[in-house]
Amino acid sequence: MSGFGIGASLPRLEDDRFLNGRGQFCSDIFLPGMLHAAFVRSPHAHARILRVKKPAGLERQVFAAADLAGVGRIRSTATLPGFKPSDWPVLANDKVRHVGEPIAMALGSSAAEAEDIAALVEVEFEELPAVVSMWDALKADAPLVHDDWGNNVLVELKLEGGDLARAKAAAAHVVERSFRMNRQHPLTLEGRGCVASYDGRLDELVVHVSHQLPVPLQIGLAQVLGMSQRRLRVIAPDVGASFGLKSYVESETVCVAWAAAELRKPVRWIQDRYESLVCDANCRDYHCKITAYADATGRVLGMECDVIVDSGAYSPWPWPAGIEGGLAMGNMQGCYDIRAFRGRAVNVVSNKPAGQPFRGVARPLSCCGHEVLMDAVADAVGIDPLEVRLRNFVQPEQMPYTSITKKMIDSGDYPTALKRAAAMIDLPAIRNRQRNPETDGRLIGVGFACFYEQTAYGTGPFGYSAWGIELVPGMEPAVARLTGDGELIIEVGSHSHGQGHETVFAQVAHEILGIDPHKVSVRFGDTSTSPAGTGTYTSRSMVTTGGAVAEACRALQAPIAKIGAHLLQCKEDDVQIRGGRVVGPSGNVELAAIGRAWYHHPEELPDGLDPTGLTATAGHKAHDPGVFAYSAHAAVVAVDPETGGVEILDYAIVADCGKRVNPLLVEGQIVGGFSNGLGNALYEESTYDELGQPTATTLADYTAPTAPSMPDLKLEFIETPSPFAAFGMKGIGENGAIGPPAAIANAVNDALRPLGVAIFETPITAHRVRAAIATARPKARS
Amino acid sequence: MKPSPLDYTRASSLDHVVELLANATDETRIIAGGQSLGPLLNLRLASPRRLIDISHIDELRRARIEGTDLAIGPCVTHAQVEDGELPDVTHGLMQHVARGIAYRAVRNRGTIGGSLAHADPAADWIATMAALGARVQLRGCRDERVLEIEELINGPLSTVIAPDEVITSIRVPRLSSGARWGHSKFARKLGDFADSMAIVVVDRDRSFVSGVLARRAEPPARLPRMIAALTAPDLQGAIDDAIDSDLKSLRIEAEDVRLHRAMIRRATREATR
Amino acid sequence: MKTVNVRVNGATYARTIDDRLSLADFVREHCLLTGTHVGCEHGVCGACTLVLNGKPVRSCITLAAAADGADVRTVEGYDGDVVMAAIRRAFNLRHGLQCGFCTPGMLATAYDIVTRLPDAGRERIKAELGGNLCRCTGYLSIVQAIEDVLTEMRGNAGGSAARDQIIANEECMP
Repeated sequence: MSGFGIGASLPRLEDDRFLNGRGQFCSDIFLPGMLHAAFVRSPHAHARILRVKKPAGLERQVFAAADLAGVGRIRSTATLPGFKPSDWPVLANDKVRHVGEPIAMALGSSAAEAEDIAALVEVEFEELPAVVSMWDALKADAPLVHDDWGNNVLVELKLEGGDLARAKAAAAHVVERSFRMNRQHPLTLEGRGCVASYDGRLDELVVHVSHQLPVPLQIGLAQVLGMSQRRLRVIAPDVGASFGLKSYVESETVCVAWAAAELRKPVRWIQDRYESLVCDANCRDYHCKITAYADATGRVLGMECDVIVDSGAYSPWPWPAGIEGGLAMGNMQGCYDIRAFRGRAVNVVSNKPAGQPFRGVARPLSCCGHEVLMDAVADAVGIDPLEVRLRNFVQPEQMPYTSITKKMIDSGDYPTALKRAAAMIDLPAIRNRQRNPETDGRLIGVGFACFYEQTAYGTGPFGYSAWGIELVPGMEPAVARLTGDGELIIEVGSHSHGQGHETVFAQVAHEILGIDPHKVSVRFGDTSTSPAGTGTYTSRSMVTTGGAVAEACRALQAPIAKIGAHLLQCKEDDVQIRGGRVVGPSGNVELAAIGRAWYHHPEELPDGLDPTGLTATAGHKAHDPGVFAYSAHAAVVAVDPETGGVEILDYAIVADCGKRVNPLLVEGQIVGGFSNGLGNALYEESTYDELGQPTATTLADYTAPTAPSMPDLKLEFIETPSPFAAFGMKGIGENGAIGPPAAIANAVNDALRPLGVAIFETPITAHRVRAAIATARPKARS
Repeated sequence: MKPSPLDYTRASSLDHVVELLANATDETRIIAGGQSLGPLLNLRLASPRRLIDISHIDELRRARIEGTDLAIGPCVTHAQVEDGELPDVTHGLMQHVARGIAYRAVRNRGTIGGSLAHADPAADWIATMAALGARVQLRGCRDERVLEIEELINGPLSTVIAPDEVITSIRVPRLSSGARWGHSKFARKLGDFADSMAIVVVDRDRSFVSGVLARRAEPPARLPRMIAALTAPDLQGAIDDAIDSDLKSLRIEAEDVRLHRAMIRRATREATR
Repeated sequence: MKTVNVRVNGATYARTIDDRLSLADFVREHCLLTGTHVGCEHGVCGACTLVLNGKPVRSCITLAAAADGADVRTVEGYDGDVVMAAIRRAFNLRHGLQCGFCTPGMLATAYDIVTRLPDAGRERIKAELGGNLCRCTGYLSIVQAIEDVLTEMRGNAGGSAARDQIIANEECMP
């Protein structure tokens, strides 16, 4: 069965239910007597609530803030110096701070009826001036989003290293660039939602919720509801994508859970797309200004950056705003050997939905920052963008390398990856092509983006605790149990919502126990039955949960071998576990025989067997600094100077995520991540008018990539095993999404070079391209 | 979201529709394929108390030649046009346009009549029918009338269709054998509404030359000077000047001029090749 | 309220429903067939795509009342269908799904492509998939899966069984 272990492109075991319509998402759960919730939401970006008037005769079906007895506020704190915590009310009480903020919950016997009732609730407001953009937020006389803050700065972080003064003094070239990444929406195909009910037998409030972090949600919900965690069960069933959206304590979940406990009836809320586009437009929204001090050969001696993140109105729990500014700044030096650095990151609040990390989390911005800057240095010095990067890369012989921003990069061969990516798009041929005009009048451009992705990092000072957040992830657990008929159940604390954990962890089990993956169940997502991990996020599960699964399976080897040797009447040292059997010198027994002995006939077991038997619990402690995956992206674009349309003619990715457990799934993560990055680069933007009203509120306005948008990607892999992970693997989940905005921006700007214009803002829409070209010198245009 | 409460009635014939509309108020809407109205209902941007479904009336789904016109029933779907089920009187222009509308699942239900009655200016049929000189037949409880597209549509998402009227036919004049057309569309993504779409039809045998520019949120714009330049035999340069002149008379943002000019030029070149 | 009779996956459901109920909600809540998913309710994302009277449509913007007397096929209704079995196999082999939420709609569209456009090339397949949004896969594996099925159908062995299936489907249509 060599086709099933580490490195096998095993087609997913979980596909069957999804291909046959038997997935169970939150909206597929129907409980007898279920009530449906709809929310009354603020039509204003910033306003005081003067009065909430419930419709006559329906008062008992409408709940406002004052009705939620015993419910606290969502308060996310951080120990970062100067961090200002925000109280996020479950239902708005005195003020609303963004369009869509929930003010009241209406319950009906159907979703339509609940919406009818919600539409009858009257709310009187006193409108306040809105803080719409990060620039608005920073103005001296800006209205205050949080009245007791004094300003709209949530936290300001600084990072310094090396001797920047010396770098400045030695610089032959000083190059500065700014980049704006506009607000986006994670646009998971399944929106948010929950179904809560009270289980009288277990005295548990059971909350099914579309979520990627069941245990943190349980902890946070219990805190806000003022109940013990023991009596709150969170179940994340099948989840239709998350990317970071479904990773915080949500107002609606609190309300629905409270109502189910209070009314002793099941209550359900399923978010609709309009609601989602208004309330969940909560990712990206960054700006950075970066300066490079380079010598005459283009070596960057020092770098400065100023980052602003618009975090919306509140800090989510447990991920306070502030993380993104810190991450953007801390990764701004990229793959380059830059020895002096000064950075500042300011997170501001505004009258928009609370900012939430989304696939890539600040790295798309830092990648744009360092990659756009590298092209600028190349321009200033007069060398090729490929050459400037090769001159500045951390070289393979310098690994392991600690960056000036304290990233401990374990491994990487950036020059090989970049050169390979350039070869895959046939760079010399493209440069040749650029020498002559295209028959259709379009402009051809090439752009690169190289970056690392810090994955699977741990608790310690170089990991999550550096963020000073409320809930620091710790060890990652796994439980492995051999059943009475010789099959395997693995329970983990991660959550799979597309990543294929039911397959890859079975592959790990196969690698260690030789068991057929089709005889392995991988289960997760239920705080009452799954071991308490923190869920899936920051590209960690393969390494951390995978590591724990490996440990748990290894722990089962001893009892299996001991029982098997006893059944075979030979010495333990003389048996091997392979092919789903225990094999001795003169015979073998199936794992089913092992299971039968343990569960049915313990009288047949050997003396001295550990009474824990065939259930093994293990944990994995992540390597605190993380394991570093990396990629090189190369993009070739054609820009139509009349329409502003950008077409991707060719796109190559060379990725290194260490040992790939399942190459088919790794490719899926990269291609899928690329489509998100493509959306970031060219299509997706959550827009607001000057009053803070969202204007991309339907899928007709908010555009995301579809199949015809996708170029045929060229993918190659390098496998540099990580010394800090089982089997040498690294995380890869966010990798594909990080590079495209930078690679495509660089390519577009390479194409626009003859016109003397450039664009440093995403998405690079046709409208923005036309606007840039309109400013070009008339002579250049014709 | 779910629609506001409503009453659904299925009409069994055109006479039945007219009868049902006799007492119609502003709160009554006709629904055919529901691809334009459906989203509005779900978003509660339209809350009619009554819906009259005309999509099950066979005679409204037919298209046939009547004299020099193709008379298209209002419930003919975009997919029927795409699949070439209609007699081709436009040298493939209608089939070409149909294929670019939204997606197949939408085309299977969406209708030409529905699209015209909904009057989203970026919708492909509005500009196409205007460019072809199509006329729309309406029947009310008292009389019938025939309107040009520009008469039918009086603003974005707004028509002159009275509460008691229903579109009974869209009449597309048959193009002569030597007629040519050009169609150029720029959208963010395949299937989206166009940011800019130009359609040019040159049918010298019928002395019919038309050019229409469709944009978002603006009614389709005729291009009179371009048409005049095309009508008289002339050089390309004069046509380009005429296009620029037409564009100047429209309210267009500076950065969009190049886009619209490009679409019109490309459509014109295609029609005069 | 209306009483409607809808044949879903070969079984007739007679139900009294709210006039404003969508066909998507009808199959999910009244027929308890939750494989059809609701992703936007404005007809754009394609997650709700099912087959109505033999054609793929958006069930989120189709009223259940409008489907009175009609024939509906959801993702749960392809038992024994050789073409769908081939599509499912190809999706699995090519990793054409991750979270699974878009999948039923993708399968309905894939079925339409391979049965209606047997000569479709890669660009045509991409264009025909343009009405089904996916945020996880990046689409290329789905395109590849459909290409695989078309290749299989053009070949002799799997091809004739698939062609027989398509003929059988047409004979079943009202």
